[in-house]
Amino acid sequence: MTHTSFREDAFTLDVDYIVVGSGAGGATAASALARGGAHVAVVEAGPWRDPEHYPHSMYGAMRDLFDDWGAGVAQGRALWPIVQSSCVGGTTVINCAICVRTPADIFDQWEREHGVAGGSFRDTMWKHQDALETELSAELPPPESLGRNSELALIGAKALGYESHVMTRYTKRCAGSGQCLQGCRSERKQSLNLQFIPEVLAKGGHVLSCAPVHRVLLEGRRAVGVTGRFRHPQTHKKGGTFTVRARKAVLVAASVTHTAPILERSGVKNPMLGLGFRAHPGTGVFGIYDDVVDMNKGATQGWASMAYRDDPGFKLETLSIPPEMLSSRLSGVGQELMRRIGEYRHIAMWVLAVRAESVGTVHNGLFDRSVVKYGFNEADMLRLRKGMGVIARTHFAAGAKKVVPGIFGLPYELTADQLSLIDEGPLDPRAYIAILSHLFGGCVMGKDPARSVCDESGRVHGYEGLLVADASVIPTNLGVNPQHTIMALARTFVDRLLEA
Amino acid sequence: MVTLYPRTEAFPGLEDTGIDEFLVRFRRESTFLIYVGVLLGTFLFHWSTLLTVYIPLPAFMLPAGLREKHASRVLGSRIYLLRQAVFLVKLVAGMCWGADARVREKLGLPPQPADPGTWRQS
Repeated sequence: MTHTSFREDAFTLDVDYIVVGSGAGGATAASALARGGAHVAVVEAGPWRDPEHYPHSMYGAMRDLFDDWGAGVAQGRALWPIVQSSCVGGTTVINCAICVRTPADIFDQWEREHGVAGGSFRDTMWKHQDALETELSAELPPPESLGRNSELALIGAKALGYESHVMTRYTKRCAGSGQCLQGCRSERKQSLNLQFIPEVLAKGGHVLSCAPVHRVLLEGRRAVGVTGRFRHPQTHKKGGTFTVRARKAVLVAASVTHTAPILERSGVKNPMLGLGFRAHPGTGVFGIYDDVVDMNKGATQGWASMAYRDDPGFKLETLSIPPEMLSSRLSGVGQELMRRIGEYRHIAMWVLAVRAESVGTVHNGLFDRSVVKYGFNEADMLRLRKGMGVIARTHFAAGAKKVVPGIFGLPYELTADQLSLIDEGPLDPRAYIAILSHLFGGCVMGKDPARSVCDESGRVHGYEGLLVADASVIPTNLGVNPQHTIMALARTFVDRLLEA
Repeated sequence: MVTLYPRTEAFPGLEDTGIDEFLVRFRRESTFLIYVGVLLGTFLFHWSTLLTVYIPLPAFMLPAGLREKHASRVLGSRIYLLRQAVFLVKLVAGMCWGADARVREKLGLPPQPADPGTWRQS
């Protein structure tokens, strides 16, 4: 069992397979390779933080777990932050471990529009998802851990008569500590730094942390390794050079914002590289209740609804945020802001993730920073606005006395008879406080090499021993949380790689 | 920043939550881009008074009441980049204020231990 963290001197290693990144795709691919008997090196840009290292505060989370302090934004008409992690385990450390199977319509769409995922692909993916659900203990939160925030959402949706449910998540008896975003110190969340990465080590693999890959080493059209320089997790200073050589293949799973830029820096030639970036932009609406909600007591996310996934295209969820986030999310300053924060214990926060049709790009920029360009078209703005209206109505159906939509130009809070203001709200994305959470594309898979970067086995067209094994390959939006799909794809790709 | 989170009867103000030490730590620990963003937001906050309260003085020279009025207007400005830059300042200040044990107690939350800031080194 070998782990190499930041070091000042040069480091070299030879293995069968290199996996760049240790998030949902990377960790799953690496464990599958290790189970197949291969000697694997996982090369992760961020540090390895165990639960005892996890931060308590959101400041600590941004400093210790978030990629680039959470400073990444999608450039478009509005600047919307991109939320993902940079540490061993990737975003599985800071997400809410929501487990949703890849919907059947997605495979149909991939086959129809991209010529992939036909035949037995869907069955293979679902078979892997069966196994993953068992291995990662996918379960509903215990009723005592659900929290009032989610209970109210169930009440509201039932009153309005639309489908909703308690979420299935990769957790073992969720303690309801409301700390998903800072990493689960109680180790109930089955993030992949606790699951698959230790398995890779136990099977003789190697993990390099604090090791951002600068480029994949190519000999002609064959990938033979990766190189970069260690980066200190505290000072951000560069350390020694690392070079890992692969006898068989390099799998890049560095996240949607990094995989395509790494391939660009490596000299991979493909006109589709960096294109097809998609996301689920999300925003929330607060409900203010007479009774105490205490949204930070209970599962950070415990409730969801897919009732609007197909038409008009959004998913609803609960989300609890700590006071240090809420204080900036509520509008106003000074005495007025303090008065509004005083209602914290009575606030429930529900969010939507838009199944957006907008498409952007992700490329390598100045100083090797990833540059995401993503505009949000009018149809998607209509979906966003519609979703906010549904959330607001659900709040009132659950007993809220007012809602806080957080839309620029609208009053701070609205009563039930003012909801038309949301329905007719602005269509300018700059009027909304939103984030991009689920990202897709940049190295999309497809049958036609002229319209895609990878094939349906994750192999980069025109190159040997070079694969992509993260959400970068996903050619469409999913309309559901992507972790389960990403992990199943990684396993499918590794199956095919080992068979070959 | 103190203007954004003032002391009230219900809550301690930002000046009561160790903002000076926080900013020293923030300067040391944050990335260059984030720190520059906060500096830019602070600069714009102080030098945009003419757009909000129509007074050609930097915000730090305004009386408290007028400064709060300016803060409210600048965060509600129609100029997107201006309000986003000041929003970043509000976000960072909120990280300090909202994590304070006395604030959390008022909000029904237990105090948070210090963030360990450690990682697996071998």
